[in-house]
Amino acid sequence: MTRKQKRLSVIAGGLAFLGAATGLTFYALGQKASYFYMPADLTTASLQPGQRIRLGGLVEKGTVERGQGATVAFSVTDNQKDVKVSYTGILPDLFREGQGVITEGSFDANGVFVADSVLAKHDENYMPKDVADRLKAEGVWEESKSE
Amino acid sequence: MLFWVIAAILTLGASLAVLLPLAGGSKGASSSGDHDLEVYRDQLSELDRDAARGLIQPAEATEARAEIARRILRLDNAEVGGEASARRASVAARLVATAAVLVVPIVSWGLYSQLGSPDLPSQPLSERLAKNPADSSVDELVARAEAHLAANPSDGRGWDVLAPVYLRMQRFSDAAAAYRNAIRLDGDSADRQAGLGEAIASAAGGIVSADAQDAFEAALKLDPANAKASFYLAVALAQEGRGQEAVTAWQAMLGKLSPDSPWRSAVEQALAKSGSPEIASGSTANGPGAGDIDAASAMSPADREAMINTMVAGLDDKLRQNPRDAEGWMRLVRSYVVLGKADQARDALGRAIAVFGADSDEAKKFTAFAASLGLTATE
Amino acid sequence: MVETGHFALVLAFALSLVQTIVPLFGARLNNQRLMAVGGPVAVSGFALTALSFVALASAYASSDFSVASVWENSHSLQPLIYKITGTWGNHEGSMLLWVLILTFFGSLVAAFGSNLPATLRANVLAVQGAIGAAFFLFILATSNPFTRLNPAPIEGRDLNPILQDLGLAVHPPLLYLGYVGFSICFSFSVAALIEGRIDASWARWVRPWTLVAWMFLTGGIAMGSYWAYYELGWGGFWFWDPVENASFMPWLAGTALLHSAIVMEKRSALKIWTLLLAILTFSLSLLGTFLVRSGVLTSVHAFATDPTRGIFILCILTLFIGGSLALFALRASRLTAGGLFHPISREGALVLNNLFLTTATATVFVGTLYPLAVEAFSADKISVGAPFFNLTFGPLMVPLLVMVPFGPLLAWKRGDVFAAAQRLMVAFAAALLVTLVTALFIDGASVFAALGVGLAVWLILGALTDLAVKSGFGNVATGIMVRRLLGLPRSVFGTAFAHLGLGLTTLGIVGTLCFGTEKILSMHAGETVELSGHTLRFVGLYPAQGPNYSEDRGRFELIGASGSAIGEMSSAKRFYPVRQMTTTESGIKTLWFSQLYLSLGDEGKDGSVVVRLWWKPLVTLIWGGGLVMMAGAAMSLMDRRLRVGAPSRRRRQASAVTSAGLP
Repeated sequence: MTRKQKRLSVIAGGLAFLGAATGLTFYALGQKASYFYMPADLTTASLQPGQRIRLGGLVEKGTVERGQGATVAFSVTDNQKDVKVSYTGILPDLFREGQGVITEGSFDANGVFVADSVLAKHDENYMPKDVADRLKAEGVWEESKSE
Repeated sequence: MLFWVIAAILTLGASLAVLLPLAGGSKGASSSGDHDLEVYRDQLSELDRDAARGLIQPAEATEARAEIARRILRLDNAEVGGEASARRASVAARLVATAAVLVVPIVSWGLYSQLGSPDLPSQPLSERLAKNPADSSVDELVARAEAHLAANPSDGRGWDVLAPVYLRMQRFSDAAAAYRNAIRLDGDSADRQAGLGEAIASAAGGIVSADAQDAFEAALKLDPANAKASFYLAVALAQEGRGQEAVTAWQAMLGKLSPDSPWRSAVEQALAKSGSPEIASGSTANGPGAGDIDAASAMSPADREAMINTMVAGLDDKLRQNPRDAEGWMRLVRSYVVLGKADQARDALGRAIAVFGADSDEAKKFTAFAASLGLTATE
Repeated sequence: MVETGHFALVLAFALSLVQTIVPLFGARLNNQRLMAVGGPVAVSGFALTALSFVALASAYASSDFSVASVWENSHSLQPLIYKITGTWGNHEGSMLLWVLILTFFGSLVAAFGSNLPATLRANVLAVQGAIGAAFFLFILATSNPFTRLNPAPIEGRDLNPILQDLGLAVHPPLLYLGYVGFSICFSFSVAALIEGRIDASWARWVRPWTLVAWMFLTGGIAMGSYWAYYELGWGGFWFWDPVENASFMPWLAGTALLHSAIVMEKRSALKIWTLLLAILTFSLSLLGTFLVRSGVLTSVHAFATDPTRGIFILCILTLFIGGSLALFALRASRLTAGGLFHPISREGALVLNNLFLTTATATVFVGTLYPLAVEAFSADKISVGAPFFNLTFGPLMVPLLVMVPFGPLLAWKRGDVFAAAQRLMVAFAAALLVTLVTALFIDGASVFAALGVGLAVWLILGALTDLAVKSGFGNVATGIMVRRLLGLPRSVFGTAFAHLGLGLTTLGIVGTLCFGTEKILSMHAGETVELSGHTLRFVGLYPAQGPNYSEDRGRFELIGASGSAIGEMSSAKRFYPVRQMTTTESGIKTLWFSQLYLSLGDEGKDGSVVVRLWWKPLVTLIWGGGLVMMAGAAMSLMDRRLRVGAPSRRRRQASAVTSAGLP
């Protein structure tokens, strides 16, 4: 190979590498990014059981039930619809009824949302940002009226 | 004054940092070409050291040496021109220098006069607490007591003194904790139990919860004549919808209270309220803490009404946010009736029924409750 | 005292303006006096910023609630240590720390840069001054830590309880030392672009600064990861949280810079690329500051959510990143390209390293910012979490890690990959053996787990092979070998240690992820639980009172084989009344390199408590590896060859004499 050919092949190799990396990145974004839903969206969104999503809303009052062991069941609501969630693990310190949460997981065959993570922020007036934005947009919740 | 002296010294120092180099003599500087040459020489000697140590193969060392030599050659080629433009810019330089020296004091004093509060001294907490108690505000006295109790947490008397102060300051959960500490350390007393009950109830917005009720009952056991405990237990009855029993309890209280008791007027007020269809609405049972009531009684009627209106509005908002609170809805409906806002009361009733569904038990309870207030739901 | 600090801050801003403009004009006009202003101004700017910082810290230490930021973030009952660390545990104070470090580094350039060419030094200081001026203005305009309250409240609102921790005391300063350290590399790059030439001493200066910044950033990230691990009570060490990514991107780019700076220093090649990389690395540091400080992200760190701040930082970001990249586009073609090399050579290996690292940086960048972009341009909200990064970042890292041991064994300019492979045979055989043993003899080991362990062993032994080969192990007598080993340049040790640390971290990650076990259950006092061969007995819940919190502490006993207690563990639920917040204090027991980790959940009605228990094999190696990497960077820094980068004083005077002869 001449020097020019060599250089070209190095550049081509580099480009192929970058192309592959870009392709992989966008494939991964399509496959692995999880969308955020509120309960009311779920009727319009078509979800397969097992598809990972993030579900956000308020923990409905009076729905938190502690099952055997560390399994907890509760409903997440946006004051229009509510969704039953089951979660095994330790709830975050600021998990409370009436507070905003974001859960991540997927629906099982019975339509129960099985969460593998539950997020509630470490702050007293916290409402997860996604949830707050949506509730505000729908006029359900306004800022600094939590008391 | 001291501050201005320090500020002036700092400004002077900063200006000197600009001024001195400008006034200083021009130091001889090497051209960058010389500089690079030195770096390459260093690299050459480093290379020799590496080669001597056997870190680099002789062949590689020769190649590297040739490489550095090439760089030095390239350097010589590049070293052309440059030195010419030195003098002609001295006017511009002088302008920049003058501006620079002026910028420091002008920007700093100008900006500080906008942002700073030069008259405000530092106020370390320890100094503020060391002041003569007579000059201290209530807040400062409380802080002093807190500091004392933080150091001596087993001083039961201290907690006992602090607890009612917290209650007056509307720091209800602190008050409850302080009463608990006092009870734990200095033992039970009717006053402490009653205070604890009041703190818990006030923290819950006036609702006499089971915890509060326990405390009041404990107080009555220790002192059957404790007025605060009797009063609140009657309030609890009223809140449970047992209005008649509450009235009986209050009337019994009136009989026992001495004529100059401060509780007399509270009881009379409660009784007066309970005479109307709804029960005890103006009393503590309506939601505000004891402190709010104290504040309300010291207000002009117009202010008081405004305050009550805000509280009711607050409750309304809370229910919009957390609608599944049957007791809250009943309080809201009742409050609107008391305020004479029948339309809003009806609206609230409608919303309450909508939340739980028209067929639910709660809805029936609401309708019955509203009827007892003389209100009918108009669809 | 407080107002003195405030005044000093304003004065430091004024000086930073002078530092930006005067040396820049000086370099332009070739005026020695104007250029000479840069040094003293940089040093006094640092002194004033330090005075300002001390004033703020003493306001925190003495609970001076007439200062708004003290009132918002402190409490008189807090232990003194957290009062002081609270100085930078909030937005205003941490920005002051940021500029303190910036001016400190600037003053170091001023103090030790006397051997730099005058124009380069002046330009570097001017760029530093510009960054400083922008951030001083940001602080004074949007986040002034010296805003006063009159009358002063008597009690503060307490520091966020999860930030009341020693880990937090150390994490931000380390991280900032890293972020801001890259500003020096950035300033050198921009100065080179302004001058239109890259000085030979450029790489010699940039490399140690990259090392310093990289070392602190490594420490800051490791510390932050450990803090999140034990403080948040979730037992995870890395969440791919946008804020973590914000610090990880400059680290990846900085690692690439570290390697390309070597090529540039040794071989004068990759000049333009290194320069671009230096600009990008600091840009990513600024982006990190923006992401954390503007509150655009939802995360534990976003305690500052003020849109004016976000917009202000965005302007700074645009100005510096856009400006430097535009300058790069204009001037890069003027810079001379460096020497040539064969693709298979040390240089080639480092280029490959750069290719992988920058691509990895890009994937993290996309994963971090894509959700923001989607949210900005459509109504959808998405989140990109671990699954994305596992799929993109993982495949990029694995081949890079496989290639790491080859790099240092290849010769400059033209290397022999087969010779290098031969030397690595022992390491390869050992890694293969470990892989097979893991796959065959450890229960529950997947193929991936076994390969992961093998990869880690390969990295560790590869790093040791490098040292062995360079000291002539096996070829010369032991005595000579030891002497040679000790005589090796420190930077060789630095490389070996950094790669060794990488191997240890890999081992820790693989161990924890692939062999870790966990159990969640509800326990009554007196019950025992068994996890991966460790038996714990729950002794009971005990209430306790701290200085500014109350807690329920769950005590556990570690039961030995004989049935008696051999150790204690405890985890607590803490309640901070001032903020009405509950936090979980996790219980950790370190057994060799592994840890038992337990975290307390809610108390049930029947008096039972939910307990989450993890067995995390080799987990401490994750951060231990980070420490070893830092040690490697420190050794490299101490290499005296880095310090002879510029002419010594004696020679310099000689050259000054020769140049004095010119008109």
